[in-house]
Amino acid sequence: MIAPEAANTTIEAPTATLAEQSVRTIDVKREYHIGGEVVKALRGVTISVSRGEYISIMGPSGSGKSTLFNMIGGLDKPSDGRVYIDEVDIAQLDAYELAWMRCRKIGYIFQTFNLIPVMTALENVMLPMIFAGLKTDEAQDRAAEILNRVELGHRLMNKPGEMSGGQQQRVAIARAFANDPTIILADEPTGNLDLQTGKLIIELLRGLNKEKGVTIISATHDHKMLAVSDRIFWVRDGLIDRIQRRDELKIEEGIIEGAHGEAMH
Amino acid sequence: MTGGGGSAGAVNRQIKLPLSQAVGIAYRNIRLRLSRSLVVTSGIVLAMAFLMSIMCTEALHDGMRNWLADARQASTKNASLKGAAGPAATQRLEERMRAKGVAVTAQEAAAGQIQTRWVLGLALAVAFVGILNAMLMSVTERFREIGTMKCLGALDGFIVKLYLIESLFQGVAGTIVGAMLGLALSIASAGISFGRFAWINAPAGRIAAAVAICIAVGVTLTVAAAVYPAWQAARMQPIEAMRVDT
Repeated sequence: MIAPEAANTTIEAPTATLAEQSVRTIDVKREYHIGGEVVKALRGVTISVSRGEYISIMGPSGSGKSTLFNMIGGLDKPSDGRVYIDEVDIAQLDAYELAWMRCRKIGYIFQTFNLIPVMTALENVMLPMIFAGLKTDEAQDRAAEILNRVELGHRLMNKPGEMSGGQQQRVAIARAFANDPTIILADEPTGNLDLQTGKLIIELLRGLNKEKGVTIISATHDHKMLAVSDRIFWVRDGLIDRIQRRDELKIEEGIIEGAHGEAMH
Repeated sequence: MTGGGGSAGAVNRQIKLPLSQAVGIAYRNIRLRLSRSLVVTSGIVLAMAFLMSIMCTEALHDGMRNWLADARQASTKNASLKGAAGPAATQRLEERMRAKGVAVTAQEAAAGQIQTRWVLGLALAVAFVGILNAMLMSVTERFREIGTMKCLGALDGFIVKLYLIESLFQGVAGTIVGAMLGLALSIASAGISFGRFAWINAPAGRIAAAVAICIAVGVTLTVAAAVYPAWQAARMQPIEAMRVDT
């Protein structure tokens, strides 16, 4: 069952066997051609994330962090190497299968919330369920249930424009969880929120991560996010620079502070 | 390839957007961006009012010409004919038509038709480009929204469907208003110019047909103008949803 290329990787999660891998990349490279020049955004990244892990991807802008994040999310395809999401090689999927994957297996959370402005909170959460083929009644009940879980049961009929940033992000989280995905991808989920609201969002994500056993992968600059992560992937120059576990993190608090400052630039 | 473990191979392809949902979303999109929708719709209204008024005026004029020809034929057979269709009345109508620059005989009318067709074609082309432009802008405006929908699992077809339904709404509404406006304007203007002669021989069937043609042309024009923007929107990559710059 264990593929040879996975066996010799040094950055395997502690207790993972292959069947429990949520996301796996093997020597992923990504090149962009910009004006005749080749830009190597990723130069061979091999990682694996176990089911239920909470991962943060850190790195300065231009490090390839976003590219790696997009690969893991099935939003971009590698120039070379393989990306497996839930043990499915995404390069082998056609447009319909990719859409199905995005709908059922992956939940996306964005820095700018990205709720559909014409829809109420309830309808926003219902949308992925409708895509998945749920009947309206069923979708309504389920969406209300999830919104209750994120403590927005009293704002079901509000449009995004009538809600605060924190509330909008909670609707977005509810939407990401709509079809019980196995992976949640969060791109700077606290980037547009104040300190206190950001903290609540992180607690909510961590809570849902524990409760549902869902894998959470987040690209972030937020120091608060690092503290709840199981592991942190540091990306630099298109490569994984180092991987830290949470237990190592506590000892190195000072270093994180420094790196955090650097990452902000 | 591995692909053995866990839920591997369980990838499916059943994703759907029921028509009723699509219609609901498109309708609310129009309502939310009412000012832009009104710009698009008013373009259609104007073009269709123009088309309708030209077709309707042409029908009314034809009606008068036919009446004139019939009345003359009748009076040559029966010189003593008086009253509504008498020589005095035909003379009056002919003078009025000449004064307004309206062709009196069928031959004269045919000569002017080519120019009318040109102007009409040009007006419709301008309307088409206007609608296309407004639709393209609305796609640009909604980059992130479209990208987000794709992240939620929307297929290209869903996006095309949403845009086409939206344009269909605008096309139907704009065309109906425009056709009614054109109809009212041309009838009123003919009434002012020719009094009771305007509808003495009005071809009701032809005017009804003109309304039908107008609605068909207007709706087709609007939906056709939305095809390219809808296709552009559908091609959007989900990655666009991640862009932070607004």
